[in-house]
Amino acid sequence: MLTISKKVCLLGDFAVGKTSLVRRFVFNIFDDRYLSTIGVKVSRKTVALMVGDQPADLTIMLWDLAGSEEFDRIRASYLRGAAGAVLVCDVTRPATLERLADCAADLWRVSPSAHCVLAANKVDLTGEQRLTAPQIGPVASRLAAPWYLTSARTGDEVELLFRDLGLMMVG
Amino acid sequence: MDPHIVQWLAASRRIACVFTDRELSITGVWGDPTILGAEAAALIGCQLQDAVPELIGTEEVLAHLLAGELERYDLSKVNRDAGRSVPMYLNMTTLPRRAEDEVISGLVHIAEDVTESAVLEQHLVQHRNELQLLQDRLARQNLAITTANAELRHLDEIKTVFVSVAAHELRSPLTSILGYLEMLLDGDYGALAPQQVETLEIMRSSGRRLVMLTNDLLDAARIEAGRLELLLRPVDLTRLVVSALTEFKPQAAAHGQEMSLAASADLPLALCDPMRARQIITNLISNASKYTPENGHIRVGLSRAPEAGFLEIVVADDGVGIAAEDQARLFTRFFRAGSASLWPASGAGLGLYITRSLVELHGGRIWLESELGHGSTFHVTLPAS
Repeated sequence: MLTISKKVCLLGDFAVGKTSLVRRFVFNIFDDRYLSTIGVKVSRKTVALMVGDQPADLTIMLWDLAGSEEFDRIRASYLRGAAGAVLVCDVTRPATLERLADCAADLWRVSPSAHCVLAANKVDLTGEQRLTAPQIGPVASRLAAPWYLTSARTGDEVELLFRDLGLMMVG
Repeated sequence: MDPHIVQWLAASRRIACVFTDRELSITGVWGDPTILGAEAAALIGCQLQDAVPELIGTEEVLAHLLAGELERYDLSKVNRDAGRSVPMYLNMTTLPRRAEDEVISGLVHIAEDVTESAVLEQHLVQHRNELQLLQDRLARQNLAITTANAELRHLDEIKTVFVSVAAHELRSPLTSILGYLEMLLDGDYGALAPQQVETLEIMRSSGRRLVMLTNDLLDAARIEAGRLELLLRPVDLTRLVVSALTEFKPQAAAHGQEMSLAASADLPLALCDPMRARQIITNLISNASKYTPENGHIRVGLSRAPEAGFLEIVVADDGVGIAAEDQARLFTRFFRAGSASLWPASGAGLGLYITRSLVELHGGRIWLESELGHGSTFHVTLPAS
């Protein structure tokens, strides 16, 4: 069996739910309290995939990066060597979608071949949702990133998103 | 540097250095390796990425360091779960390890525990981000309120236009009806039986009430639209009050009410719109008459106001009075005090709203003193000429 390790960065504005997505994917838990991340928290999860017709264990090293602006200067160092990224926005805050193009540009500056997927997160907050498919789709399309309506609270599309990204990285 | 100083620095700053060969196998440890979660002995012989899992997946970066293509690889504030509520924060730097001949023989990984300062920074970032989220939420709520207000204003304007048009359209046929009633009562179409006269008088009285109501609705609509204009000129208020009292005399007499006027001598003329000033006075006297029982007393006073340049009209009655909780809303549209609704007199709740608006348009003010069951006293000031 093939054993592969890939570094995946989670990028996006503060409080969009990057840490919650990682916790849902790695530990299958969710905590409603907001705790801002500074620096980086690295977690890992191994998923079984088929690479061609061969089974493989892909260890995804998840780099949960601080979203706050003061980390912009040092973010390039974190992004080095990334094979993929999850660009995360919050469907209740349209401005967080606008920032994703800058995040992707930062990533491709240091890791030009990195693959991206876009997570439009917090879809469980139905009454507060202010981003819809017609707004998200074109941004994702410009970034050549498949996009997913995710909820770290309910787990909607979280596993699917990471598995698809895994396939993109090893494919 | 003195090895003792280096040792002291390592101990006081909680620094660990890990040395590897070119295969990234750990060959030496210096400083305090417990910050990497292991004792020195346990680290020797391990792969660097086993001791520092944050470097898994960065093989390309490490290869660049070993090839001398990258000077250093820094990772700031790496969060580590130290099995406690607060994570441990490490600043990490990985460098090529060069022998004396400058050949790269492996890597040096330096980790420094910066938890103390990072925790403070985390608190600052946390508070700032929460504040920003609150500001965003507040901005969204403000926007929603502004939009709702604009919508309400638009609906209010539509309502005002509708009321204005409806009142205007009602007034024309009413005038015609009242005209023919007058002609009937004057005997223009022949003599009437007493029962017919009584019926027609009831119809005339109701028709007049309807005309007054439509006039009030039109005035209220004009006030709301800001289209009510005053034609100011010097006016003898005493004559105006006397005239109004004369108009109400038959009505008051019918109810056994007594009316009196106390006017100061040598009052200056008022600067007001005579038609609107009369409306103010008649509204107040009409209200006093409506809510005063039979054999009650209505006193009208006219004097210089305490504030310079103003005249004061006072209309006092010994009627039902107004409860304290109703007084603040008394001058708002369509409000009728609880005591008024228990009284047989009719009213749409527009009279005092129009009166207040007219007084304020003149630059004056209106207020009252009242107690439930002990009558009311209304004060109005209008500018002197």
